Amino acid sequence: MSLYAQRAIKNVIAQLLAMVATLFGLFWLVWILWTTLSKGLAALKWSIFTQMTPPPGADGGLLNAFVGSLIMNGLAIVIATPIGIAAGTFLAEYARRTALGQIIRFVNDILLSAPSIVIGLFVYELMVRQMGHFSGWAGGVALSFIVLPVVVRTTDEMLQLVPSAMREASLSLGIPQWKVVVRILWRAARPGIVTGVLLALARISGETAPLLFTALNNQYWTANLNTPMANVPVVIFQYAMSPYDYWHALAWAGAFIVTLFILFISLGARALLSRNKVIND
Amino acid sequence: MTNFAPDQQIGASSAPSEAGRAAEATSTHIQGRGLGFFYQDFHALKKIGMDIPRRKGTAILGPSGCGKSTLLRVFNRIYAVYPKLEARGSVLLDGENILEPRYSMNRLRSKVGMVFQKPVPFPMTIYENIAFGIRHHEKLSRAAMEARVEQALRSAALWDEVKDKLNKSALGLSGGQQQRLCIARAIALKPEVLLLDEPTSALDPIATGRIEQLIAELERDYTIVIVTHNMQQAARVSDFTAFMYMGELIEYDGTERIFTKPGKKQTEDYITGRFG
Repeated sequence: MSLYAQRAIKNVIAQLLAMVATLFGLFWLVWILWTTLSKGLAALKWSIFTQMTPPPGADGGLLNAFVGSLIMNGLAIVIATPIGIAAGTFLAEYARRTALGQIIRFVNDILLSAPSIVIGLFVYELMVRQMGHFSGWAGGVALSFIVLPVVVRTTDEMLQLVPSAMREASLSLGIPQWKVVVRILWRAARPGIVTGVLLALARISGETAPLLFTALNNQYWTANLNTPMANVPVVIFQYAMSPYDYWHALAWAGAFIVTLFILFISLGARALLSRNKVIND
Repeated sequence: MTNFAPDQQIGASSAPSEAGRAAEATSTHIQGRGLGFFYQDFHALKKIGMDIPRRKGTAILGPSGCGKSTLLRVFNRIYAVYPKLEARGSVLLDGENILEPRYSMNRLRSKVGMVFQKPVPFPMTIYENIAFGIRHHEKLSRAAMEARVEQALRSAALWDEVKDKLNKSALGLSGGQQQRLCIARAIALKPEVLLLDEPTSALDPIATGRIEQLIAELERDYTIVIVTHNMQQAARVSDFTAFMYMGELIEYDGTERIFTKPGKKQTEDYITGRFG
């Protein structure tokens, strides 16, 4: 067999293996999505958006869970975004090649991959035990611990991507460094930073463990952050484990809505990034 | 390999014959005296002595890594952005040593503008790109600011191309336009000196031609120091040319003389393309 034919065969085999691996991975993803879609769509009713989570034996929806999730996600973003951007800026602009910067970056990466249940337990000790009860505040804080490292990391990386010529050009006009950061570099890195925040939002939208220990759940409507708060992931968890069929249906509907929400956020993040690439080129 | 001792090494100013005569008509603007530069252990500039005349074009030539950009970056102390870099000796701007810590960075950079290799427009409108720097140094009324922006864009030969889209993003301009915008941004601060670090190396020949034409015009009002490794460019835009090699100033003289009868063998070898 000629050398060329051998190579051609090896190429075909390698390509085949890669394709099979891809299909294997995609298969499960499609299965999960298909199940969520079909069961979720079947369970979708308008009353899901207008009624509260029902007790066993009654009809109801997921309104209080949606509202609770929105409030706590919002709280997490509001807490973690400014801190994360400030910390990421420190890493990229003031401690880029220092030992301190490397240590903080390493610790942040650990936090980034910390099991969310550990974060839940931590906030349980930090807030729930001190306050004596579960609360929306604790839920929002727990989620903010998940958002924080994501925002730190993306801010750091996006600022590092801004060419150093941009810094030099600004400084050569006599502009002080803080102003260069705030007025020029943040602006240049903004799409990337916003994308990071959006991806963090997508991540916490499905987090269950941190909320289980902090916000717990609430069968009733509440917008009071000082009380236990309903939220979609914990409701899905609770209803899916129950013996009741209509609770199962509600759980599927909740899963469907959350999946859709995350899909839209991810698409938005991608659109934002690609639009910016066009401008930068 | 350098077995000769350029007169610059004793720290005296080199007074090139033509430059010397021309200097009577003009005056010296920037004086390097025993200027050394260190990247940690690496000795990047070795006792440079150099007089740069006012309102003339001075080109710095040399092979990659010879220290020509480093020298330029000392003149506005932009190197200070990075840690562990150190300049020794002195650089006198109108007789004052800018390397003295008490020489205000703000003052230095409003007097000495810089344009970089790649055009770097700020991510804002064309108007704001110019106004942003001015605002930091001066409080101007709206009308005065508009006049100043227009003046800067006219000086950079860009006004006619952008006057109808001042509020559009500067990122939409072509590379050549962006580089002229960067020149406008620098001269909007009314500097005395303009440092150009290979300003056309990222541009196509037509855009390069326009920038060179612009540089020639700006030499009437500004002291221009341009780093380039394009010899034709140095010949076209400068009155004086310095040749650097391995961190030393080998030769510094009138541009015509450097290109027709250079005094040092290394200069001749470089000019004739035998190395570099």
